[in-house]
Amino acid sequence: MPQRGAPIEVLQSVPLFADLSKHEIRQIGRLFKERHFAAGETVIQEGSGGAAFYVIESGEATVSIHGKMNTTLKPGDYFGEIAMIDEGTRMATITACGELVCFGLTYWDFRPLVESNGVIGWKLLQRMAKMLRAAEQQ
Amino acid sequence: MKQIVPLAQALDDTIFGSKAVGLGQAIRDGLPVPPGVALSGAMVEAVAAGEKPAIKEAAKWVKPLGGPLAVRSSAMDEDGAAASFAGQHLTLLNVPSANELGPALSKIWWSANSDSAITYRQRVGLFTRPSVGVVVQVLLDPQTAGVMFTQNPVTGDDERVIEASWGLGEAVVAGIVIPDHYRINRSGQLLEQSPGFKKIAVRRLPHGGTVEENVAPELVERLCLNDEELQKLNALADRCDHIYGPARDIEWAIANGVLYLLQCRAITQAGPQAGQ
Repeated sequence: MPQRGAPIEVLQSVPLFADLSKHEIRQIGRLFKERHFAAGETVIQEGSGGAAFYVIESGEATVSIHGKMNTTLKPGDYFGEIAMIDEGTRMATITACGELVCFGLTYWDFRPLVESNGVIGWKLLQRMAKMLRAAEQQ
Repeated sequence: MKQIVPLAQALDDTIFGSKAVGLGQAIRDGLPVPPGVALSGAMVEAVAAGEKPAIKEAAKWVKPLGGPLAVRSSAMDEDGAAASFAGQHLTLLNVPSANELGPALSKIWWSANSDSAITYRQRVGLFTRPSVGVVVQVLLDPQTAGVMFTQNPVTGDDERVIEASWGLGEAVVAGIVIPDHYRINRSGQLLEQSPGFKKIAVRRLPHGGTVEENVAPELVERLCLNDEELQKLNALADRCDHIYGPARDIEWAIANGVLYLLQCRAITQAGPQAGQ
């Protein structure tokens, strides 16, 4: 059976949450739900809408963009945060290599938390700006 | 407010979803529906979130049903869109027992939050938090199953159109076979019958899930309903007409000689006379 929320140690490794305190990560962690995928199952589909962000708990998944395999994701890796925040389309297709277990956070749970907690909201905004700057400098 | 009720007590489709309330109404009206329970959207989400009291409560209610189970999503009627959402949300057949209910509910909850379901919501302008109720019923092991329209969905004529195949009705619903096709009038008189090409039957597996099984060659093109069964179906159509009104889309199954109603909803698109 799925457990309640995502363990703090899994979320601490997510760069998006790097500036959050343990207490703040715990608050977000409680909103995650476990999701299982079978081998070969599409987790998210490039071009489709999406309302969930995922952190891999166990297993591996491939990332492909425009049909070209890009990289492999492992436990602790995360994906889907952009579409969850901007309500846009998925930028890549993620497919489970074998049995894959993720923790998923939906837009419907994440947005009220950020809206009601300005401190968390500001830290996430700042972290995203840093990540954007780093990406531009690469 | 109760978050799990026997199907017969599912009254509010904003809590339990349209399928649960429709089946509850059918039971209250004495129609032959397999026994089951209805779980609210909130209960399904609590189980998907891993909340132990919810998991325990759901298992307590479902255990008396035994197994195997059919665990079907029951979409909330958001702006009349329940029928459309129904296609986006998962149904799991042959869940072995209450012990496997939690993962099944989690899968169904996530199916309402899947990328395909969200894409659909965005397309129809309903980008709102999904809520999905669930119906848990005893899974039948039918000899024959299929769909029936109480009014011709193509021409709108006042006649029953029946499509039938061997095994579980998913073979017909999912278009895996060419089903037998029957038309009967309200008096039960046969207007047309044409055998399909039913090479596959969907059957339940001993330890959960279903399998697409090859049908014996002599049964592939043999009609799977006899006259007595057609009359039973016509009588069921009469009762559904009487209770719900005209133009119904019915899923049915015959197990051990007993006809069961699995779902009854309005025909979403029918011929020229529909809805007039």
